[in-house]
Amino acid sequence: MSEIAQDGGGGHKKGGKVRSKKMSTRIDFTPMVDLGFLLITFFMLTTTLAKPNIMALVMPDKDIKKEDVEPVKESKVLTLLLGGNDKVYWYEGITDAKLDSTDYSAEGVRQVILAKMDKVKAQFQTETYKKKNKEGVEEERTDGSYINVIIKPTKDARYKNLVDALDEMAITKVRYYVILDVSPLEEAFIKNPAGGLKFSVDEQVDAATK
Amino acid sequence: MPKNKPKRSAPTIDMTAMCDVAFLLLTFFMLTAKAKPQETVVIDTPTSISETKLPDAGTLTVLIGGDGKIFLDMAGQHTRLSLIEDVNSRYQLGLNDEEKMKFANLGSFGVSRGQLKKYMDLAPAERSTFPAGGIPVDTVDINKSELADWIHNARLAQFRMKQEGKVKEEYVVIVKADQNTPYPAVQRVINTLTDINVNKFNLITSMEGKAEKK
Repeated sequence: MSEIAQDGGGGHKKGGKVRSKKMSTRIDFTPMVDLGFLLITFFMLTTTLAKPNIMALVMPDKDIKKEDVEPVKESKVLTLLLGGNDKVYWYEGITDAKLDSTDYSAEGVRQVILAKMDKVKAQFQTETYKKKNKEGVEEERTDGSYINVIIKPTKDARYKNLVDALDEMAITKVRYYVILDVSPLEEAFIKNPAGGLKFSVDEQVDAATK
Repeated sequence: MPKNKPKRSAPTIDMTAMCDVAFLLLTFFMLTAKAKPQETVVIDTPTSISETKLPDAGTLTVLIGGDGKIFLDMAGQHTRLSLIEDVNSRYQLGLNDEEKMKFANLGSFGVSRGQLKKYMDLAPAERSTFPAGGIPVDTVDINKSELADWIHNARLAQFRMKQEGKVKEEYVVIVKADQNTPYPAVQRVINTLTDINVNKFNLITSMEGKAEKK
């Protein structure tokens, strides 16, 4: 849309023969500005939204020496076996382990972890102290009651299950967790829970330091 | 012109300056934004509560499709060029300069070394129909694993570029897998990474959509 100039583009022409009203070269830029900002908004929104999140994962070193392995209390260990069809099988410790299964919902595996945490907290002497965190805010820390979670995805598990399990670790603030390969004994344990788990601590160490 | 003649035109604001700013910004954003390379594999990432954002540059991404096929994507043209020259001379792939440049500008790829020349010769549109079998992995013998070799050499190439001052950072290894990828496929990649002493890596997840899960 162009406008008709009222003053004929300035009166610098002295005595000029201005007969018809001149068309001004002025253009209304409003729609163009609209379009410009619309595009800016669009590009800004799409670029920031397209950025995915990442989740850091640290795996243990392949060459662990047997003497570097530090024993943990069996009663602090919780093993999660990630099975097929979005099921989690879990057992505590090694001796007389009982297999149970749950799912990845907030009422499922999270409660298992929290229950285990409470159990460990009740069983072991704990010390609660206040310490400033990274942001400088004082928060309560508890020592001596950490649980050790072993995550073992089976062949039937899908990738989502692993991420869900790692997510639960972040939500429940489990400090020590590790992803290990599932052993044939545990696969048999899932198939026949009544048969019990028949591996020893030494075998576990061997599996981890292979 | 008579002085006492009232002006009849509506008050107008000169939009030119605003328009200039708008398009300047637009141009700026468009130029700074990276063009998304063509996706060779569609990956639907699982959700998590993690809020760490993916770094802008210096990423080495291992993509695992829902069918377990493995693809690789490295950031940085200089590094890719250096990498392909290295790999080309070492394994005698017979790539010419033009094909090397194509590789440097390529997005993710998932073909074995032997197929690479053929793959590079294709037009970009034809690449999506190429029967890519994914990058071969050998978990038993790490020296035979092409994936391990690619990642190892890419990290070396990035390191060389860093020393030359062409890039600022070393590679951060990113694993991007589909949520339905069977775990054994993911396990192969994780084992390969730990075998070449990449013990720290990142998993790509998307934002948790459901609030009640939090």
